[in-house]
Amino acid sequence: MPEIRVTPLGAGQDVGRSCILVSIAGKNVMLDCGMHMGFNDDRRFPDFSYITRNGRLTDFLDCVIISHFHLDHCGALPYFSEMVGYDGPIYMTHPTQAICPILLEDYRKIAVDKKGEANFFTSQMIKDCMKKVVAVHLHQTVQVDDELEIKAYYAGHVLGAAMFQIKVGSESVVYTGDYNMTPDRHLGAAWIDKCRPNLLITESTYATTIRDSKRCRERDFLKKVHEAVERGGKVLIPVFALGRAQELCILLETFWERMNLKAPIYFSTGLTEKANHYYKLFITWTNQKIRKTFVQRNMFEFKHIKAFDRAFADNPGPMVIMPGYCVQGTVGHKILSGQRKLEMEGRQVLEVKMQVEYMSFSAHADAKGIMQLVGQAEPESVLLVHGEAKKMEFLKQKIEQEFRVNCYMPANGETVTLPTSPSIPVGISLGLLKREMAQGLLPDAKKPRLLHGTLIMKDSNFRLVSSEQALKELGLAEHQLRFTCRVHLHDPRKEQETAMRVYSHLKSVLKDHCVQHLPDGSVTVESILIQAAAHSEDPGTKVLLVSWTYQDEELGSYLTSLLKKGLPQASS
Amino acid sequence: MRTEVPGYRDQRGPSHTGANRCNKTGSPVGLAPEPGPPPTEPCCHSRVLTALECCAPCDIVSLSCRYQDFHAFDLSGATRVLEWIGDKGVFVAEYESLKKNEILHLILPLRLSVKENQGLFPERDFKVCHGGFSDTSVFDLKHVPDTRLLVTTGLPGSYLHVWQITEDSDVIQAVSTIAVQEKEDSLWPRVAIFSSTTPGVLHGVRLSSLRVVDLESQKTTYTSGVSDSEELSSLQVLDTNTFAFCCASGRLGLVDIRQKWAPSESVSNGRGSPGAAGGRWCAEVGGKVRSPGPSVAILGSNGQLCLLDPRDLCHPVSSVQCLVSAPSPDPELLRVTWAPGLDNCLAISGFDGTVQVYDTTSWDGMGSQVEPLFTHRGHIFLEGNQTDTTPLVTTHTWHPHKPRTLLSAASDASLHVWDWVDMHASS
Repeated sequence: MPEIRVTPLGAGQDVGRSCILVSIAGKNVMLDCGMHMGFNDDRRFPDFSYITRNGRLTDFLDCVIISHFHLDHCGALPYFSEMVGYDGPIYMTHPTQAICPILLEDYRKIAVDKKGEANFFTSQMIKDCMKKVVAVHLHQTVQVDDELEIKAYYAGHVLGAAMFQIKVGSESVVYTGDYNMTPDRHLGAAWIDKCRPNLLITESTYATTIRDSKRCRERDFLKKVHEAVERGGKVLIPVFALGRAQELCILLETFWERMNLKAPIYFSTGLTEKANHYYKLFITWTNQKIRKTFVQRNMFEFKHIKAFDRAFADNPGPMVIMPGYCVQGTVGHKILSGQRKLEMEGRQVLEVKMQVEYMSFSAHADAKGIMQLVGQAEPESVLLVHGEAKKMEFLKQKIEQEFRVNCYMPANGETVTLPTSPSIPVGISLGLLKREMAQGLLPDAKKPRLLHGTLIMKDSNFRLVSSEQALKELGLAEHQLRFTCRVHLHDPRKEQETAMRVYSHLKSVLKDHCVQHLPDGSVTVESILIQAAAHSEDPGTKVLLVSWTYQDEELGSYLTSLLKKGLPQASS
Repeated sequence: MRTEVPGYRDQRGPSHTGANRCNKTGSPVGLAPEPGPPPTEPCCHSRVLTALECCAPCDIVSLSCRYQDFHAFDLSGATRVLEWIGDKGVFVAEYESLKKNEILHLILPLRLSVKENQGLFPERDFKVCHGGFSDTSVFDLKHVPDTRLLVTTGLPGSYLHVWQITEDSDVIQAVSTIAVQEKEDSLWPRVAIFSSTTPGVLHGVRLSSLRVVDLESQKTTYTSGVSDSEELSSLQVLDTNTFAFCCASGRLGLVDIRQKWAPSESVSNGRGSPGAAGGRWCAEVGGKVRSPGPSVAILGSNGQLCLLDPRDLCHPVSSVQCLVSAPSPDPELLRVTWAPGLDNCLAISGFDGTVQVYDTTSWDGMGSQVEPLFTHRGHIFLEGNQTDTTPLVTTHTWHPHKPRTLLSAASDASLHVWDWVDMHASS
């Protein structure tokens, strides 16, 4: 039974580790392999035992695809490939390949060195895992094997994020990962063509939100920064180096330029510097505006933003803006929760005297964006991950109504099965096609015509040929089937006259058919032959022999029943 | 030990106190304040806004407006409805004629709902709490207080629709309909709710078809009983027994439903009275408890605004001409609302892409021109669709307890939440 099966192993109906298993036409693909940042134990990893209880993952899975470098999409990859065990190919875009190991190593360092966790993946494991990676370009069709192919589409969201189309024959699934339908200052918007997949798997974290306009967010941010700087204060913006940092750098740089401000902006050395290097390297992944100005000036080469030196550190009235995610337990997280007194190392208590602002600059698709993407791809069905079932009923109805598709929302570990009706391509022989065309009637989409031929199935190949050709190929002779029926009529006259009566009768009744009276006395209706003979025993009865080939069965039967009704009385 | 940051001193120097010039246009962008305590005048604000103007050429937020807060959203379809549920939720509904229209129950961004420590809340987005689909266009929606029920009205105007917000999912379900007497082709019934243990729906297209229908039993509990066929433009329930009506002609009345029809009414033809000027009118009765004075405002499609005292509707207290450049292109969208948290303050919309706030304290006499206290131009300057037609504000409403916060919606499906700064208030 051809079908597509989808099982979320993480991020079915909760935000956190994304990991989705897809079975399509006998191929098994794992989409993303994320870590749940909220847990410190095994719950942070997807439950891989769902995949296969016995048997090796490498044998079962045809490939793994990673959509982007955020840890909730790739954080569990080294654990999966090196500790659980997988040696097959791992596909991702070039920027993701470059940046993933940096983040994984960073995360490993914090977990092991700072938090002292045991049984965590090692640096060597990260390296070994990345050796299995095959990098792909946008819109490049990659053959995983001779049946399975994948293609990456631009997703916006962060540098290198992609949506993937997985195709086997005529069945396909599109997985969006995280995406953004509105362009921002350093990345473009997600885009996909009308690929009409059987299934579109989309994230729906923000499906029930209507996002505030970017301009208002930026206005608020710049206003706060400007106010602080104007009164002589400093602004500290702890932000995740890869992602929002570049967006804010461009925003501040543009603003500083227009306002002709002189206050210096610094970024911390290390990760941010590396990050800017990657943005320069992967300039084709940024938005059009940046690429255009790249010729004159590299947008990531900032005029007003420089690396920080600890020597500059004093002034009254500082303010902190935190546009990023602060992991629980950190100083940042405590401050954002409103704590004004912090206990630092060595029992030292610090008072938080600064003004704290928490702003969000994350780039995800909202309700409108999701509808836009579904409209672009035109899938047959939609599957939502990352949301709460109770809060998604309306969105489900909205999608089902607007696009007339089915909408699914599986929980973690729950398998959704989609029946598909794959189209089977059949080659038609030119001779057969020409013969049908020669019949004269033009093809009409509204009136399907019946075509006679023989279907030859050989070596998973389907061909439609004419019967003669098929017989020839099979080395068989054609058999003809001919039926003969006897109809008794009461008619004392001679056979020739009976035949004449039959002819006149049929000629008047069967106006659409070719009825002929042959010199030898027989009557033909198309290719059906009717002969009148005298009954051997009863001279008053005539026997009509009606004979037809198998192809004329319908007409033959009709004629027979017609003749059995008798002939009209002859006029004298 | 203070460390001098190289280059930093320049910023505090003369070049900074002089006029700053926008690098793009070269024009001055306002004066910088002297270094010292933070300015009370938010003029650095205007520089920020101008800089944003230069950052993206098509974003221009008017320099004459001052905002404490400004959030702009794009709905999937334009709404003529902004109905509060509690003080954290608001309903919007679409009004197109040939499609399934969405009714949404939105929760205000958390940032706007909290009273203190606003800075610690990053949530700036509306959340869709519940949603439903209507086959007909929705022009007005009323929430039945203390219930999970809603009543909607629109075109075609043969029925009012009753909806329920389901408890265990996020869907708004259609529950029942209320048939409207005297169905009309192009007019739709106005609706107001008498809330009590047995809520009643007051509705009607004309004075003659005004009636109250009990929501549960669908029995008619009140009819106007008159043959007057004047068309209604607004209905407002004032308390358990009284309601106010305003006809399109400008005729106003307060009705006690315990009595046979005998409303205290305004005069249609007196000097300075509404209706004498022609056009289409709508009105709102303010819930003034504190200060005495006129609490009825009636707005005409030509920009005329009259204030009346409910005790004497025959003699308008004042009549002014609002600052509008042209009569309303769609008088059905006219809206006048009293501010629940500010004395003598009202807002009007429906003439163009703006919402104007007026202080009526010193208004007197007839015919004077007045200037708004504040004009919200966001819908014009932040148009998302970049179409040639300027958007028209379809409706607006005041926040129940934040005194200067309003919500406004426009024909381009934009929805704004804004908090304006009163420039005339003493610091």
